[in-house]
Formats: sequence, structure tokens, C-alpha cells
Amino acid sequence: MLLALAAVPVLIAVAVRLSSAVPPGRGPAFLDQISQNGLFVGITAMLVAVPLFLPLTIGVVAGDTVAGEASLGTLRYLLAGPAGRGRLLLVKYAGAVLFAVAAPFTIALVGAGIGAVLFPVGPVTLLSGDSIGPAEAVGRLLLIAAYLAVSLVGLAAVGLFMSTLTDVPVGAMAATVVLAVVTQVADALPQLDWLHPWLFSHRWLDFADLLRQPVVWDSFAANALLQAGYVAVFGALAYARLATKDILS
Amino acid sequence: MTRKWLRWLPAATVPAVIAAGVLAGSLPANAGDPLPDKSPAQVLALVAGHRDAAFSGTVEQTSSLGLPELPPASAGGDTAWLELLTGPHTARVYRGGPEQARIQVLDRFAERNVVRNGQDLWFYNSKDNTAAHAKLPAGTRPEPRQDAVPQPDRLAEALLARLGRSGDVTVGPEAEVAGRAAYRLVLTPRSSTSLLAAVEISVDGRNGMPLGVQVKARGQSEPAFSVAFSKLSLEAPDASVFRFSPPPGAAVKELPVPDHRAGDTKRPGPNAHGKVHPKGEAKVSGTGWESVVELPAGAFAADAARQQGGNGDAAALLAKTAVPVPGGKLLSTALLNVLILDDGRVLAGSVPLERLQAVAAGR
Amino acid sequence: MTGVGPAAPTATAAGAAVPDAPPAELSIETRGLSKRFGRQLAVDGIDLAVPRGSVFGFLGPNGSGKTTTIRILLGLAAASGGSVRVLGREMPRQLRTVLPRVGALVEGPAFYPFLSGAANLQRFDAADPDAPARTRQARVRTALERVGLAHAADKKVRAYSLGMKQRLGIANALLAPRELLVLDEPTNGLDPQGTREVRHLVRSLAADGATVFVSSHLLAEVEQICTHAAIMSAGRLVAQGALAELRQAGQPGVRLVTPDPGAAAAVLARFGLTHDGGAPGSGTPGGAPGNASDGAVLRARLPAGPDTPAPETLVAALVAEGVRVRGFTVEQGSLEDRFVELTGEGFDVAQ
Repeated sequence: MLLALAAVPVLIAVAVRLSSAVPPGRGPAFLDQISQNGLFVGITAMLVAVPLFLPLTIGVVAGDTVAGEASLGTLRYLLAGPAGRGRLLLVKYAGAVLFAVAAPFTIALVGAGIGAVLFPVGPVTLLSGDSIGPAEAVGRLLLIAAYLAVSLVGLAAVGLFMSTLTDVPVGAMAATVVLAVVTQVADALPQLDWLHPWLFSHRWLDFADLLRQPVVWDSFAANALLQAGYVAVFGALAYARLATKDILS
Repeated sequence: MTRKWLRWLPAATVPAVIAAGVLAGSLPANAGDPLPDKSPAQVLALVAGHRDAAFSGTVEQTSSLGLPELPPASAGGDTAWLELLTGPHTARVYRGGPEQARIQVLDRFAERNVVRNGQDLWFYNSKDNTAAHAKLPAGTRPEPRQDAVPQPDRLAEALLARLGRSGDVTVGPEAEVAGRAAYRLVLTPRSSTSLLAAVEISVDGRNGMPLGVQVKARGQSEPAFSVAFSKLSLEAPDASVFRFSPPPGAAVKELPVPDHRAGDTKRPGPNAHGKVHPKGEAKVSGTGWESVVELPAGAFAADAARQQGGNGDAAALLAKTAVPVPGGKLLSTALLNVLILDDGRVLAGSVPLERLQAVAAGR
Repeated sequence: MTGVGPAAPTATAAGAAVPDAPPAELSIETRGLSKRFGRQLAVDGIDLAVPRGSVFGFLGPNGSGKTTTIRILLGLAAASGGSVRVLGREMPRQLRTVLPRVGALVEGPAFYPFLSGAANLQRFDAADPDAPARTRQARVRTALERVGLAHAADKKVRAYSLGMKQRLGIANALLAPRELLVLDEPTNGLDPQGTREVRHLVRSLAADGATVFVSSHLLAEVEQICTHAAIMSAGRLVAQGALAELRQAGQPGVRLVTPDPGAAAAVLARFGLTHDGGAPGSGTPGGAPGNASDGAVLRARLPAGPDTPAPETLVAALVAEGVRVRGFTVEQGSLEDRFVELTGEGFDVAQ
């Protein structure tokens, strides 16, 4: 799965390399900057992956956590182990979080790597117009990956809960991914203004605040708080559901 | 059975705790001592007495003017001021002294910057990677207006200067802005023809700095326009914030020295006026709350046509929202009516249509 | 018939000292255990009593609630009513102290197909936080050797045959010294050789002092290896006790081979023999007339009570009536008869 994610920056880099100059302001943000600075491959790839690819892979991993064991039948042996239902949930969630961290870092590092190979690397222009050196730029890149990792932790908790609802992993995966897409659509509807701050995807794209000078930390903190809320709510729901569930698979 | 319920307890408690936390957070934290009572005149004196301190802060601006919301991505360049009137905005404001200022309008994946450092004035827009530079004569106020979210303190001073005399000034209940206790000055028009119901200005209880402005329209409970600090630090920002040089690869345009008057911002939606101002001989009739600005034929049309050649957002907005009225077309918002006459003249003011038509008729 | 003789001890084997738990006479004890799924009552107030050290056969037709009961015993499902004590402790309240002492094979083996057999066992062993990680490898190896899978330890489970998976499942139950083994259909999918090995294994486990709780639909298997048995039918426990007692509770019958079934039936009826079993070919082994090369086979039950006719009286009466008796046997009640008697339905022995 990480390989599939790693393919995103590679595809972007190769496409930009092969095509002629991209006019500024067309396509995803930063795309036009890639040919001048390879480090932007990582940023653009993350930007492209945020709406669908990242939620998709997180949905697959998180949706599989409990439902996958249930469909294999191994859940009953783990619980008869006895693994303890709370402990099992914790270990499974830790696995999903590990993936949520690995996924954006994979994209960022593969992107920066392939960008450095195919394009020149130099000072990076931030949104504020200031320039920073390549070393600091890599630091910002990793910061963005960390931001996305935090962003995906909430979705992973939602997926974990979905996974306790069913014995069919594909169902839990699909429900999680669909939810991720639906919240993003809802986030784009001005009629649902009141709902926006509560959607777990609301601040996904605010990672751009890390590309300002000085860095806007508010969105990082607000996003972390939002995701922590989702982890608490859906973690508690998942625990309640699994702890009271009859394991019949 | 009871055991089963116990397992669901955390799932029920956590949302309750979060809801409680959100509620507690939204309540004004009246931890500090209440401010001493002051009369309107005393608060006005407090405002007048405050000096331009160095600070850095974040400004939140919202409008609900009844205009359709423009997608932020589509607005750029010439129609940026239109976009400022519609969606919500966040900007960071840094001020280091009378000749040092920086305003960053934080757009999604883009940023508009206005930087004043000594005599250098820079504009930078990351969307199209363009920069503009001007050399200011010494002593000019650091007041870049174009493409920027209005700053609460400047706007408040301008409003007080324009509207204070023709309205009643009272002090409302104490407010909290950016975590600071503030007096709330309430300006209400004496006349009943104005579209404005009230202008509320939050004034820092300690140093007299205006922290926020809310403009309320008649018949609307939500403020039609609001701009206020959400964060404010009175420490001088790092000097590096004001050092700006255009990034490599940016298109840089040298601007002529702007004809820049202090306090150009006149009222809500000042950018609209500011934009059109230099082009024609604007005529102002009436005073204070009821003033009507009249632009001669051609000024606005030329502007609109130019924009149509650009990206057409303004024209599209006009077409979408303007309704035909006798003698022309009316663009109506909660705070401002704009009458575009068939002969090309444009009249604008925070007054009902009838008043605009009366002015147009020369009465 | 290589089974344990019917004379197997019915008394509880001398229980080995149980660490930190009061020695319990019963390894499994349920009181009025019920489980309801929606409107359907899957388990209806059963009172199981599994003596310590016994090999307990848990019999019942498919869908009679056996597996549901086992799930409740292991804390996988919550009971709708009643109480459960396993190894003298209340379940599921003391699940954490009980389950490490219980090895289980529930409703067929289940593994991660992409892991090797040994890796699967290590993973399951790690599920128990109290299982010592230090001895894990050695314990996995021993368990695999015990079920004869040592040679396939490093093969992916994907490549295992059904029988190998079944053995691996049993090995999983044997990863630690257990006081109770719950084996749901342990010989399912095994070849005759494997079946015999499992029987042998169960016996050796019992010899070590463990209680073995075997659910099965294979009557012959239960008859061969169990000391005790319980019979489930439609969610209710219809019989339970030592195997010998269960057998004796069945009535003996006669088996008659004759070309004159009509006349013979009339004679038998005169003596009060219930000619149970109905239509030919119904498959019920109790009393249906079958066909032998030298005539029809009649089965009839001897009436209970003091006026049971002696077999020789019956034969004499049959011969006197001109019935050509070509074969006559008195059959003791088998567990099978008892089973059919209690559950009253066809039993899918061959499945």
C-alpha cells in the first residue's frame, strides 16, 4: 500500500518532467514550481493525495483492523487467548496509526527524492514570498507530513469503529472511505457552515499554513485538537462496541 | 446487563465532556476584574490617547452582506476587493513602528502580502507569483489599503471620524476580544434612512486600542460586517518579518508613488470606494451615515469592462445580483446600495433605493 | 472398535492441585444458561456439569446450540441469562484468570494464511499477555511436534490441507499447559489416521489430568473416547451423565431377519414389542425394516418393565406361527439409539 502511495509523487514528477512548462495558476497549487525546484514534488504529491489517496489507504488499513480478524476467524482465537478486548483494540489502533504516520512521510520523502533526481534543488519560495534554504525546506516538508499524519489519526479512529461494526472488512473500508469523501463534500457546501468546524477533514488542507513565514501554528494545534476529539469519541465507541459484541464469526 | 451498560459509558461520557468543554470555551472568561465604568466621552478619549504601538496579531473578518460567495480561488488580481466583501478572511498583521508593517492575507494555498519597511512598500501575491514595489515619501502612514483585510484599529478610527458626529455614542456591555477585556462603543445613526443599524467598536480597556469593529444592518441579527483581532500580542515583532525581497522568478512591477492619503478607508466596503476613487470626480452628497457617493458616467463602466476582459468575476457578480429598477440597475447588499443608472452614472450609499434615486434626480 | 471400554471410570479423576483457585469438582458448570438471538432462543436454560478430569462429549444435531454454548463458555458471547463457572471461577467476570488455563478450538481452525504455521502460533500465544515470551518458541515447537506438524512448521498456512489446519488448531490449544481443553469438532477434516491420532491425543491429555470437552456430531467418536456426555436438542440439554449410564438408559431391542415380515410383526406386537420406525428407507436406524439377502430386517424394542418376554419365548412363538426365522439378535441400547430417542430426528452421522 505504501508502494502505491509512493507512486503518486513519482507519477507527478515524471509527468511534469515530460510535459512542457506548466503555466502558473493551473492545476494543483505548487505544480508550476516543480520544474524549478524538485522539493515541491513532495508537497504537490501530498496535496494531490490528501483528498482521496491517503483517506483511501487509511480506510483500508483501519477498516481491516477488527473486521479482518473477524472474517478470518482469528478474532475468536485472539480473544480466547485471552488478548482482552480493550488491549486488542489498542494494539490494532496503534497499527493503524503507525500506517497513518508512515503514509504521508513516504509520499514526502519519495517525492523529495525523485524531485531532487529529476529537477534542480534550491531555495524554496514560501507562500509569504520569503525564501528558505533547501535544508529548512526539507524540514517544512517533514512538518507537513507530520501534519497530515495527525490529520489521518482521526480518520483511523473512525475506521476502527466501523471495523467493529461488521465482520466484512470490505464493508468497513468502504464505509470509512465514503465517509471521508462525504465530509469533504459537506465541507465544501456553504449551506452547512455550522457543521464545518466539526468535520474531521475540515483542516486537512490547512497544512499550507506551514508554508508561511512565520509558520502559522494555530491550524496545527486546532487540527490536533480536532483529531484528538475524534480519537476520543470514536475510540470510546469502538471500545463499547467491541466489548459488548458477541463474537460469532 | 449492567456490565454491558458500563462499557458504553465512556462512549456516552466523551462526547458529553467535549460538549461541556466547547460550551465552557465559548463562554466569556470573566476571570479578570471588570473594567472600571467609563462614559462614552471617556472611552473616546481613551481611543484618541492610544498611540501606535508595535504589535502582532491575527485578524478575522466576516461579512454577510447578502452577496453570493465567490469561490476564493477564482478571485485574484483586480477583483480581489470583491472577494474581500464576501467570504471570511484571516490575516496576520505585524506592526513594528510607524514605518514598519506587514499584512498577510491567508488564502488557501496562497497568500497576499503587503510589506512596508521604511520607504519601501511591497505587494506580493503568491498565486501568480507577482510582486509590486513602490518608494514612499518619508513620513507617510503605513497604510497599504489595496488587497488587504482592513485592520480593526485603522477602520475604527476612520469610522469614528466619519460617523461619530452624526450619531449617538453609547457604551455597551463589556466585551472580550482576543482574550482582552474591552469597552464596547456603540454608534447608532440619528436618522432612520440609513441602512446601518449600529456600529460597535471594541476598545481595549487598558491601552485604548480598537480591537474590533462590527457593523450591523437594519433587520439583520448577525453583524453584516465584522473585523476583529482573534489574537494579539503587544510585543514588537521580529525585525526580519519586515525585511522583504521578491522571490526569484517573481514578476516585479515598479509602481509610481501612490497618491496616498491617511484614513482613506471610509466605511464598510471601503476598498470598493478606494478602487474607484481615483478614476472620476466623485461627488458626495449628504453627510455621515446618509452620504451618497456619485460617480460620473464612465468611471464604473470602464472598470467593469476592464474586468470583463480580465476574468469577468465582477461582471458575473453584477449580472447575478443586480436587479433592474426604474432608470437603471440596483446592486443591493445589507449595508450598501449601488444604483447603476442607464446613463452610466453610479450612486452608492448606505441608504435605501429611494434616496439614491432622489439624489440621482438631483433633489 | 479400538475405543475406551465402557468400563471407563465415571468418577472424577483425582484433580491435580489447581494454583490459586479452590479445587472445583466441576470444570464447567452452568446454571440455567440461555442465549437469545432476537426472537430465537438458541440456548434454553441448560445446566451443564462437566466433572474435572473427564472426557466430556457434547453431542447434538447441527444447530442445536452446541457452538453457541461453547462461545459463551469462552467469553466470546454474552449469555442472555443464567450463570457460568469455568474451572471454578465465574465467567466472563474472571475471564482473564480463566482463559489462560483453557485451550480452545472453536468452530474450526482459523489462521492468517500468509503466515507460517509456527508464526501463527506465536502470534496467538502473544495474544495472552501472561504467556512468557521467553519460552514461546520452545512451546510452539513442542505443540507442533505433538500434533505431528513439526515438518510443516515453516510452511505458509495457505499451503496447508484442511487436516493440517485442524492439527494446527489443536496445537494452538496446546501451547501452554491447560487444565481444560474445549475442542469443537476436533476430527473434522482429518483422515482416518489423523482421527486416530487425535483420539490418542485426547486420551493422553486426559491422562495428564486435563478435562477435555469435545463437541462432536460423530457419535462413534464420542462413544470411543468419552467418559461422559451430554446431548443437546433444539437449545435444550436433554441428557447428561456418565457414558455407561446414558447407554443403560436406552432400551434393548431385537433384530429379526425373516422373509415373512408381516406375520412376524403381528407376533411381536402380541408380546408388546413396539415396532418403532416407520417407512422403509427412512434412514432411522432404530426400527425400520431393511433388506438382507435372506429376507427383511425387522427391528423392535423390548418393552420395559417386569413382563419383558424372554428372547427364547419370542423365537418359539415366531416359529410356532410359521415365521421363517433366519436371524435373531438381542441388541443392547447404543448411544445412538439413545440419541435418536432423545432428539427425535435424523442424525447426520456421515456428515
